[in-house]
Amino acid sequence: MSIRDCALQSRAFSALKQVYDSRDAVAAAWKAQGKKVVAKLGCDVPDELVIAAGMLPIQIYADPKKTLQYTNQYLEHAFDPQVRAQFERMVDGTYQNLADYIVISNSTDIVIRVFLYLRELKRVEPQMPIPPVAFIDWLFTRHQLHQNRNQFVLNLFKQQLEAWSDHVITDEEIRQASILCNENRQALRQMAALRHGSEVRISGSEALVIIGAGLFMEKTKHTALVRQVTQEAQNWPVLTGPRVFYTGANQEDLTLYEMIEKNGLVIVGEDTDWGERSFDHDCNLEDPAIRAVADRYHFREFSAKKSLVSQRVEALDREVGACGAKGVIFYTNQYDEVATWDMPKQRKSLEAKGIRHITFGKMNWPVEKNRGLEQQLAVFAAEMKGAVL
Amino acid sequence: MSQQKKEPVSKSVVVKKLNATRAASIYQKKWFFEMKARVENEGLDFAILNADVPMEIFRAMDIPFVVNQWWAAICGAKRMTRKYFDLMQQNGYRPDLNSYDAQALAESFDPDDHKLDEEGHPMGPWGGLPKPTICITRLTGDVQNKIYGLLAENYQADLYVMENTVARTTPLNWYELTADRWEELYDSDRLDLAVEELKELIRFLEQKTGRSFEMKKLERVMHLINEQESYYKKTRDLIAECHPVPVTVVDTINAVMQAQWQRGTEWGVQHAKGLYEEIKTLADKGEAAVPGEKLRMMWLGRGMWQDFAFYQRFEEKYGAVFMWSMYLAMGADAYIRNHVEQDPLRALAARYIGMEDFIHMPPWNSSWFVQQALQNDIDGVVYMIPDNDIQAVEGSYFIKKNLEAAGIPVLAFHADPVNPKKWNAETMTGMVEEFIEKRVIPAQKAKN
Repeated sequence: MSIRDCALQSRAFSALKQVYDSRDAVAAAWKAQGKKVVAKLGCDVPDELVIAAGMLPIQIYADPKKTLQYTNQYLEHAFDPQVRAQFERMVDGTYQNLADYIVISNSTDIVIRVFLYLRELKRVEPQMPIPPVAFIDWLFTRHQLHQNRNQFVLNLFKQQLEAWSDHVITDEEIRQASILCNENRQALRQMAALRHGSEVRISGSEALVIIGAGLFMEKTKHTALVRQVTQEAQNWPVLTGPRVFYTGANQEDLTLYEMIEKNGLVIVGEDTDWGERSFDHDCNLEDPAIRAVADRYHFREFSAKKSLVSQRVEALDREVGACGAKGVIFYTNQYDEVATWDMPKQRKSLEAKGIRHITFGKMNWPVEKNRGLEQQLAVFAAEMKGAVL
Repeated sequence: MSQQKKEPVSKSVVVKKLNATRAASIYQKKWFFEMKARVENEGLDFAILNADVPMEIFRAMDIPFVVNQWWAAICGAKRMTRKYFDLMQQNGYRPDLNSYDAQALAESFDPDDHKLDEEGHPMGPWGGLPKPTICITRLTGDVQNKIYGLLAENYQADLYVMENTVARTTPLNWYELTADRWEELYDSDRLDLAVEELKELIRFLEQKTGRSFEMKKLERVMHLINEQESYYKKTRDLIAECHPVPVTVVDTINAVMQAQWQRGTEWGVQHAKGLYEEIKTLADKGEAAVPGEKLRMMWLGRGMWQDFAFYQRFEEKYGAVFMWSMYLAMGADAYIRNHVEQDPLRALAARYIGMEDFIHMPPWNSSWFVQQALQNDIDGVVYMIPDNDIQAVEGSYFIKKNLEAAGIPVLAFHADPVNPKKWNAETMTGMVEEFIEKRVIPAQKAKN
């Protein structure tokens, strides 16, 4: 059982799980109060500004059970299947009802395409139930010219939020929102420390719930619950088994993690945006408000999509080392393949450190569609146990 | 003299090859070997550039370079793709990803690239690329960082990346604004940034190569390009007016694409002029590329490098002539920037930042394809969508919808333009034949 009784007995964890399981509930309640909701696609939409505008940021997610009626019409199959399913909810009226606006960051080529398609769709088929869409065009190369450009880009987004909220966003409001987000990230990092230390108290699946719930609820409430869970989890039983790190496709539900954990592996970290990458790096509150937010998104850990192979090799080595993993699971969906360019050198570097690995490429989405996956994981787990125990 | 609806005056032979096409093929080989010798003998810096990197700077600074995509076409023509697929796999890389862009990377893994076989023939394409010392790309796709980073590592070359921004302003008539009104075409801040990026690039190149940049030389290069591309515009307009057309894409794709990589040179201008004059002569004589031309076809997507004969398979049976591809038309509409002398760097910025978007971003691509289809009296469109490259995914729904709304049938199919393992000529031919019979011919009859 990946989510243990000790977690389910925690009121704080249960509250987080309720949000994680019923992801639209908070947004619906928020809307019912006449407040505005921003649905985000891509991992670089700054919550700090959305919160400063008095809106609730929520992450767009895929519904594996939904028929892709519109997506099959509008999108090519070269799109990552998970993004295709996210697209369906963006055009079928789901977010028209649930959110007031959609904001997309250029975190991957694929979501840039989604923005271009939505923009064009709204132009040529204005009857489609799609909320107003904004785009954040970050530059990810670490160069002063681009750092300055990112502040310009963020100011454009701020102006868009001001128009939407009919409210001038002050630097102080951004600073206060940055403090909230920093506190949230710090709370999550304290939680994550219980995955990384000599004794692992929180499983990967439990961590996904704790982290993921924050993508659909108010930051202050999330922070309080994370702190509570972290405190309680210090007394949860220690997890034993080979420690593995997960890298690759975002896991929006627990299916894969549960499959991995069922085989006795302990997932002690991941570099995904539904995992630990989401709370890496804070806003420097000593910097001017916009600069602090822009730099946070510019200078956090390298994403697989926007960095060099050499940067990703170093990043993975760093992350695996920090959480003491002895094995790495590489997992990419079909058509979400940029990360596969990093893997040959990443694997080589891991091997040099004696870290085992297994690669699952061109995977179907959702996870259940992959025949033989569970068996392959079982073999890997057996190897890991043989190596570790 | 206008070629408007001109009837053929004689039963001409099918024009399979233009002198200009042959000339371009001969020249590019001669140019490559001379450049290679110069690089290797003099120990010069040598750059490999992605297609959307502003090569004009390198031309103005006289830094030898090749364009990755041009080289990929050479590798394809030299039948290296299977070997390169295997090399990618042997080195742990997925051989089926971004195969077009990854040809040079695959080559960099080849230990035999600069060797001769037992019969004394070079084993690498044209004896292999000279060793690059500079690898430059623009971040127009997530994979660019990866491929160029690895390429630079393999060759121990310097990597330089240029950023990319997404257009907020997207006037549908971009092709009417490019030459003179680019300030209306682009968001000014995007142009400002691109100019700064060019200055940074120049600074990097000056430091790396020890060569100096002179604005006057860039201005000269830009003027030469304008002249060359103006001939493409005249050529495109001429072909569009001709009924029947004197040439097909088999002639124009290679003639233009090969010369396009030489843009900014006197040779490029003279070649484009020669191409125009040669086609004009054919047009004036009423030559028909396909005697009895019945259907005018548009090809969308990258060129079918591994099977150029594909374009000609429908000529005899249906009188169907593939007469439009983006290669000539992009030259006509996308490259010209007048009044260069006012600000050469800004004019250059206004050229390179839109290049990918004109062909890959809705609504710019779809609105242009319709305008071009109408200008060229197109009866049907065959649209090849690469199935493994998100960068080339370009809103096929909107392209098809726009063209069909204009009364032009579209066949959209998925293929990999450089992977012979994924190319089945018979299946593709059958698909196009069915399309012609069931959609294009009935639509043309209905139109008439």
